Amino acid sequence: MAEKTYVADIDRSMYDFRYDEKDAYRIEEGLSPEIVEQISKEKNDPQWMHDFRMKSLEIYNHTQMPDWGPSIEGLNMKNIATYVRPNTKMANDWDSVPEEIKDTFERLGIPQAERKSLAGVGAQYDSELVYHNVQDFAEKLGVVYSDIESALHGPYADMIREHFMKLVPPTDHKFAALHGAVWSGGSFVYVPEGVHLEIPLQSYFRLNAKGAGQFEHTLIIVEDNAYLHFIEGCSAPKYNVANLHAGCVELFVGKNSTIRYSTIENWSKNMYNLNTKRAKVEEGGKIEWVSGSFGSHVSYLYPMSVLAGRGASSEFTGVTFAGKGQNLDTGCKVVHNAPDTTSVVNTRSISKGGGISTFRSAVVINPQAKNSKSSTSCQSLMLDSESRSDTIPAMDVKTQQADVGHEAKIGRISDEAVFYLMSRGLPEDDARALIVSGFADNVGKELPLEYAVEMNNLIRLEMKGTNG
Amino acid sequence: MNMTLNRLPSITWYWLKMNNGSLEGVDPAGEVSVKEEIPSQITAETLRLEDLPEQATGMGKDMTALVRTSGVPVHSYATAENQQADGVLRLGYAFQHEARSVNAVSLRAAKHSSLTVVQDFSSVRDAEGFAAAQTRYLVEEGAVLKLIQIERLGSGYTFLNDIGGRVENSGRVELIHLVLDGGHTYLGVQTDLAGYKSALKADIGYRVGGDHTLDINYFANHTGKKTTCDINARGVLRDHARKVFRGTIDLKKGSSGSVGNEKEDVLMMDDTVRNQTLPVILCTEEDVVGNHGATIGRLDESVLFYLQSRGMDREAVYEMMADARVASVVHLIEDGRTRAEVERYLGGISDSNEE
Repeated sequence: MAEKTYVADIDRSMYDFRYDEKDAYRIEEGLSPEIVEQISKEKNDPQWMHDFRMKSLEIYNHTQMPDWGPSIEGLNMKNIATYVRPNTKMANDWDSVPEEIKDTFERLGIPQAERKSLAGVGAQYDSELVYHNVQDFAEKLGVVYSDIESALHGPYADMIREHFMKLVPPTDHKFAALHGAVWSGGSFVYVPEGVHLEIPLQSYFRLNAKGAGQFEHTLIIVEDNAYLHFIEGCSAPKYNVANLHAGCVELFVGKNSTIRYSTIENWSKNMYNLNTKRAKVEEGGKIEWVSGSFGSHVSYLYPMSVLAGRGASSEFTGVTFAGKGQNLDTGCKVVHNAPDTTSVVNTRSISKGGGISTFRSAVVINPQAKNSKSSTSCQSLMLDSESRSDTIPAMDVKTQQADVGHEAKIGRISDEAVFYLMSRGLPEDDARALIVSGFADNVGKELPLEYAVEMNNLIRLEMKGTNG
Repeated sequence: MNMTLNRLPSITWYWLKMNNGSLEGVDPAGEVSVKEEIPSQITAETLRLEDLPEQATGMGKDMTALVRTSGVPVHSYATAENQQADGVLRLGYAFQHEARSVNAVSLRAAKHSSLTVVQDFSSVRDAEGFAAAQTRYLVEEGAVLKLIQIERLGSGYTFLNDIGGRVENSGRVELIHLVLDGGHTYLGVQTDLAGYKSALKADIGYRVGGDHTLDINYFANHTGKKTTCDINARGVLRDHARKVFRGTIDLKKGSSGSVGNEKEDVLMMDDTVRNQTLPVILCTEEDVVGNHGATIGRLDESVLFYLQSRGMDREAVYEMMADARVASVVHLIEDGRTRAEVERYLGGISDSNEE
């Protein structure tokens, strides 16, 4: 019988450090109209946003918990503080950020990345952005990259009101309603017509507070004939109580424009990651999702693409690595609402150490989406028999004039491939580790080099194993 | 009674409306008499549902409750050990207009025996009514069961076709389902591959037209080591037809060395049809392989172009390819008499139960 290679869990030690909530303002735990009122007051909401929050809370209270995915019984909203504000104002230079917070982001490599390869950075600590800056050249192109609260009161206030939670309405599901009630932080990006921002923007979300929730809102509007690459990162130290992330991302892709939205998610293993992401793509536009899910205790994450204009397209490239104590339910949704639209889905998932990985998807081709094409490929790797890997892809095709294909495979590391590599001189350990790391390369090759390296830190470098 | 049918073993988003089918106000009245042709080596007897071992079926608990409350007997057919039945067990169900019936069947292929069964569900072409049939089977060690089901019911019929069975060591079950006509058809199949090297081969051919619906739930439950399943569905949708196919391969812990394959190929003939496909793989065992694939939509443009360049018009090409999909399943039927009867029916001539 072949011996097995031990594949290590992802090393989260670089993310697992914490500071006391020194001088932070922390709202009482739980969810009530009084708490939502208080958050609205703290945020200095305009009246419409205050009313929106209260309406969302009402929807939350009347909406059922999802029962089709991983259990979220360990999440009790009575124990979650929905707003924790660090004792600092947002700065646009790192020297003005309090030492401990600055140290946090330096250890995560954010200022260094900003200097080397980013056009702008937003850094959120608990419920508020503590740093936000956009490079001069991007500003000169007319790119707006700000915290969303400032945008609510500035020249883009009407644009925010017109778009905020219009793609993901609070009625979408229970945690969209929760987000509508208690959202705080996040970014607003506006890219004018014809602007190609070749260098990415990045937001990084760090949840430091124990027993807290993070509910940032990202709203990106890219006008016609433009391009944006936006990178999102997130992490948290591990606590022995549940934390919650229920963010929301809304992307509006103009005619013949492209947004590439890359995420490396590495929440700690006490995190319930119930995040919602959605893009609406106009004629000839394209949304590219690149998604790496490595962290959290439980994840529900399915970026959705609504292909609204003729010739719009979407690509979803994802990898999920579920280790011990993790139940990661990830995938995507695509709705073809216009003629000549195309979608491509390409995912990999790895389960080990009792981890559960589920690929869940939906491709809907509506009657008006004539001549649409959709292709889905998902592959799953089981590294032991304590783990679980499921694929649940749904296809709903409502027009004859469409071509829809799907293929999926679940299996183990191929003995033949290991034999081949060994015949080329690799030890068995290295051969197996190489195969496992190569399995996730669909995402790695889509990321900028620096982030691919980070992902390799998360997977490949941890796969040096021992037989046993 | 109100029924939830064909529920997916692992459900997904409710907004898709694909997790299960449902029926309201089901009120059957007794069984329809079955026209039997029983080869001499096969033992037939009548049992009660309570006499049978527990067996989950594809359609689910509500279907078994329907059989139980209707109080119909279970018609049981079995081979003896080491016996290769030299004939085909034929069970003909001729449903009458406005009938409401429930039938139950049990099949048992004893150790190292073989059993071939043809179940022919039919009615006059425009008949209305309700019919439900539950077929349970047990394939013992080294035995082979071949079950061929042909459905050709009236356009006003709602038909529930429910199957559940267990395959033991080195046993093999081969299922062929042909859904040729019917109003609203539900097909639920669960096969428990419990024995070492037990195997399932399933071929489903369907053509759904008018405003008819077809709701399928196919579940291969791998618990034994080195088990295999191959599920192939091929079909054609026309007019305003709607079809749901849920296919689940569940590779459970302990099923090491098992392989599950599943494929669906759907040809949509008109722009007003709707196809829903949900091919699921559940896996809690490392040393297994699960594959599924689906192709849905119109004909490949290169095929169409080639045939048009040979003088066929677009409609003729589609008709030919539609016929070919169903015919490819018909050709798998080894029993010549059944195959000929189906071919006659597909050719527009029906010699059974015409009024």
